[in-house]
Amino acid sequence: MKKKILAVLLATAMVGTMAGCGSQEAAQTATDAAQTVQETAETVADTAEQAADTVADAADAADATVDYGTGEIKVWVAEAIVDFTKAQIDTFMAAHPEFAGYTYVVEAVGEGDAAGNMITDVTAGADIFGFPQDQLARLVVAGALETVAPENIDAVKTQNDAGSVAAATVGDELYAYPVTSDNGYFLYYDKSVISDPSTLEGLMEQAEAAGKNVYFEINSGWYNTAFFFGTGCKLDYTIDSTGAFNGSDITYASDAGVVALREMIDLAASPSFQNGSSVSNATNVAAIVDGTWDSSAAQDLFGDNYACAKLPTFTGSDGKTYQLSGFGGFKLLGVKPQDDENKLAVCDALAMYLSSEEVQQARYEAVGWGPSNLNVQASAAVKSDVALSALAEQLAFTIPQGQYPGDYWTLATGLGDDVITGVLNKDSSDDDLMAALQAFTDACAAAK
Amino acid sequence: MAAENNKNKSGVAAVFSGIGKNIAEIGTTFIEGDWKTRVSYLIMGFGPICRGAFLRGFMYLFCQAGIISWIYFYGWKYLSKLNSLGTVETAKVGRKTVYGDDSFLILLFGLLSLILVIALIALWRMNIAENRKEEQILKAGKKLPGNKRDFLSLFDSNFDKTLLALPVLGIFVFTVLPIIFMICVAFTNYDATHQSPSKLFTWVGMDNFKELLSFGPNGFGSTFVSVLLWTLVWAFFATFLDYFLGMAVAILINKKGIRFKKLWRTILVMTIAVPQFVSLLYLMKMFAKDGLINTYLMKWGWIHEAIPFWTNPMLARITIIVINIWIGIPYLMLIATGLLMNIPEDLYESAKIDGATPWQMFRHITLPYMLFVTGPYLLTQYTGNLNNFNVIFLLTQGGPKSMALAGGAGRTDLLVTWLYKITLNDTNYKMAAVIGIMVFIVTAVISLVVYNMLPSVKDEEGFQ
Amino acid sequence: MANNTSTSSMKQKRAVGNAIAYLVLIAISVVWLFPFVGLVLQSFRSYATEYGGMVEYFIPKQFSLDNYKFILSGESNYLLWYRNTVIIAVFVSLFQTIIVLCVSYALSRMRFKGRTFLMRFWLILGMFPGFLAMICLYFLLKALGLTQAGAVPGLILVGIASSGMGYYVCKGYFDTIPKSLDEAARIDGASRARIFFTMTLPMSKPIIIYTALVAFMAPWCDYVFASYVAFGHDTSYNVAVGLTRWVWTNDYQGFFTRFCAGGVLVAIPVVILFMCLQRYYVEGVTGGAVKG
Repeated sequence: MKKKILAVLLATAMVGTMAGCGSQEAAQTATDAAQTVQETAETVADTAEQAADTVADAADAADATVDYGTGEIKVWVAEAIVDFTKAQIDTFMAAHPEFAGYTYVVEAVGEGDAAGNMITDVTAGADIFGFPQDQLARLVVAGALETVAPENIDAVKTQNDAGSVAAATVGDELYAYPVTSDNGYFLYYDKSVISDPSTLEGLMEQAEAAGKNVYFEINSGWYNTAFFFGTGCKLDYTIDSTGAFNGSDITYASDAGVVALREMIDLAASPSFQNGSSVSNATNVAAIVDGTWDSSAAQDLFGDNYACAKLPTFTGSDGKTYQLSGFGGFKLLGVKPQDDENKLAVCDALAMYLSSEEVQQARYEAVGWGPSNLNVQASAAVKSDVALSALAEQLAFTIPQGQYPGDYWTLATGLGDDVITGVLNKDSSDDDLMAALQAFTDACAAAK
Repeated sequence: MAAENNKNKSGVAAVFSGIGKNIAEIGTTFIEGDWKTRVSYLIMGFGPICRGAFLRGFMYLFCQAGIISWIYFYGWKYLSKLNSLGTVETAKVGRKTVYGDDSFLILLFGLLSLILVIALIALWRMNIAENRKEEQILKAGKKLPGNKRDFLSLFDSNFDKTLLALPVLGIFVFTVLPIIFMICVAFTNYDATHQSPSKLFTWVGMDNFKELLSFGPNGFGSTFVSVLLWTLVWAFFATFLDYFLGMAVAILINKKGIRFKKLWRTILVMTIAVPQFVSLLYLMKMFAKDGLINTYLMKWGWIHEAIPFWTNPMLARITIIVINIWIGIPYLMLIATGLLMNIPEDLYESAKIDGATPWQMFRHITLPYMLFVTGPYLLTQYTGNLNNFNVIFLLTQGGPKSMALAGGAGRTDLLVTWLYKITLNDTNYKMAAVIGIMVFIVTAVISLVVYNMLPSVKDEEGFQ
Repeated sequence: MANNTSTSSMKQKRAVGNAIAYLVLIAISVVWLFPFVGLVLQSFRSYATEYGGMVEYFIPKQFSLDNYKFILSGESNYLLWYRNTVIIAVFVSLFQTIIVLCVSYALSRMRFKGRTFLMRFWLILGMFPGFLAMICLYFLLKALGLTQAGAVPGLILVGIASSGMGYYVCKGYFDTIPKSLDEAARIDGASRARIFFTMTLPMSKPIIIYTALVAFMAPWCDYVFASYVAFGHDTSYNVAVGLTRWVWTNDYQGFFTRFCAGGVLVAIPVVILFMCLQRYYVEGVTGGAVKG
């Protein structure tokens, strides 16, 4: 492999000098030269390793005529954007004739499944795949994510919003390319049933009066932070650059936590309450706490009565008013570690392109995914989008999602289910709730 | 395995004396044998080939050549690392990833190589016995069976070998090997943080079993006990409720004077024919808190709050058992219908003359007969239900979960569905392997105990 | 029944009894058919005018073939999944039947060293939960190149490889065929193979059909292992994997009625086949029940 690096390096150096001519023949000679050089390189390869590393960047800069070899790039994206992604990759390939040796295949593997599949068998997994940011640490630990190429780091950091960049970072390393900043949730509601969605109590009253359902997936560790963060609880894990968890700061076992948990219990006790967050599995809906990925389904469902709002406020058991908070989340694009540098370079370039401003703009136009790119966020179309503006309004109250161990999600589902099933109920004393939260906090702190 | 444990000490002694005998025979064969036999110790099948038994000889030779070359070209690099499961870590060279040892493949193919080596030794032993047998036949002045007869015997006296060769091989590679593999995994630290190929995993002895027996808060131990209890309770209800209700429906349909017998049966049998992932997923939606049943009950004013079929642990368990009756009755109905017709009519006639009520007839004629005949079936049903994945997975996926349970287990999780979650969601393979072994032990113990209690096993001639 | 003692009161009693029996049977039929009727009705719900997700009413407001048009149109890979499943089911059914017949005959008729050991060993093997083996099987198949794009042959291979362990029912059936027949034929000089092919097999039609039928039905329900082997390669899915995703994955909003339509199309061939061969199924199951 070292030989190959050196050969490429020498070839690029030669091409660099010739590139000015821009003639095809020059390129041809260059490749021929590269081949002859490769033979001689074999003898000196061992000594040249370090040099190769430093000059590799230079090679990238002048890569117009580098021989990238051949290969197949497998891309996993959600079903909704398979065709979109194919079209974009075609554009990309057309603009980069130097990658002509590469073919690609786009498979429909949802963001939720992608991480699980990647971890099961990294070698058979996709080279580029979309995933929700909460899977980042897990993927890094499993060795399924390559760091972002050095030449792309600055561009990624400056072009995307700070939250999404933070979400793609583990320790000090940037591991993924942000694609969307819309992985948060807000309220979709039926205008004809709910006239004022500003308070949770009012919302439930109106839904109960109409005999309709309000969906809020409180047994999910992702949605129930709306309550805990709303009352000011903290849930933080620290993580080292290999993706391993090395500390935590969780304050659920506090008075604020009890207020949040009691509010969940009150909500779950309402006859209109339904646990869920999927429009297509919901029936008789008055309102649903859900994200932008369901916006078209929600529009179909509510028709003319479609409306969006930030999450409501609620009056806690201590008499104070709190705003429901929650996670602000992101979808990322990851590149798998490769044992072929050339292929890695192609993957890096493609991932960079698929997360670039123009593709994010096009993706928003095609399927309505909220961009993480600052320029696209500032565009008029995005600003006037009902769902995205509700999300933007809600984002002011949310906390950027960090990295949490798998056990956190399991435990949070356990906590939520204990509320829904009535293990924790209106008759539970504050001490009972505190004990449950203490157990939760201890278990979360012990999770790795 | 359990059956082998039952053997007493004389069994162990027999094994040792058997090994001793084998070694002695290998020695005497070498001393007493001619040069062809002696060469066969190195080149298997040499003796038979020289004596004209080409078919047998070449079979040994090909096996030897095949196994040795496989291990030489492929297996050795795994086999040699089996005791450490790999030492070379995955490294980065520049932007490139250079994969080190893959513990998973080392364990898998290392085991395969190991088994092949054992097979080679067994073949070698057979090859020696074959040589000795041939020599003795020749010494006695008889002729060796010809190649043609050897070949034809594969369709006659050795037809069993022909019939069983492929199935046994298939079972070995696709069932036995994976099971040995997973038993081994139970003694390693293979989990989410030791995920091959980018990380190595290695042997850790009994650590995982200790973790299973840890009974602290969120320890696996208490969860295991709770899941196990529900598994046993579920299997009991799922088996016996189905059994008696199915029999009742069969008797009802068989009742004299009931018409359209075929129609009723056909309606019930639909549930067997429609794939479960279709019918159960639909039923799951139907019973959801916002599903059809709740909506209609509320619409009609029968209830005011939705019944939490899936979210209340107790109710979820009951709902699952009830839905399982829906699935199970048709099978039992079919079986019972067939068997009920086998009961001699005159038994009932004479009972009737004695003035027996229908209940008495059922209690004293039908039930004992059915229990006797279907005893083994009931047992397999019970063990099948212990591992009934589909029903639980498609209906509740084990939920509702609770903080009181470790490893993501839910209130309706059976051991197998829990195992599935640990494997796929948590990629905690080591604990999955440990729990898998536990599932096996539970199933095997129950089967063994119940099997020996069955009337049809105790008294084979009872009803004949 | 010659019942010359029957009085009018007896008759009345029987009539009442029968009436109750009919009521119970009708109630049972309703309960058993309800989910299927629901499934069929949902599958005909108009996708264009009514939302494709879950709804809280039973009878669609407007009937249409939208969902069937969608799944048959090639917009999704449904037809491909269907074809995969049929291929898997046919091959598994064919080879599994052959293997089960071979194994059962050997175990029932031949007496050889290790026979009881083999039977006991397989019985014990069957008590290990299958999922344990799943990851291992995946990598074995991967070594053979039979995952992802090759998932269909891979699933066939796994489907037939271990089928020998399911010999109980078939062996039980062979045990009921009198051995004296075999012995008579052997005295006449027939080989084991000849007896197997010309005598035993022709007498075993019910059990052959039973084995084939059971083997044919199993792949239609295989979700867990099939999704594991296909590994995100959606042209290799079978119907169970493909359709289950429509219900479980959030990427497919409003696919519920389409799932119902897909489910109906899956159920139709299996139900028809089952109905036609039901008699053999009963014989197989009861035979198995008796023999254990």
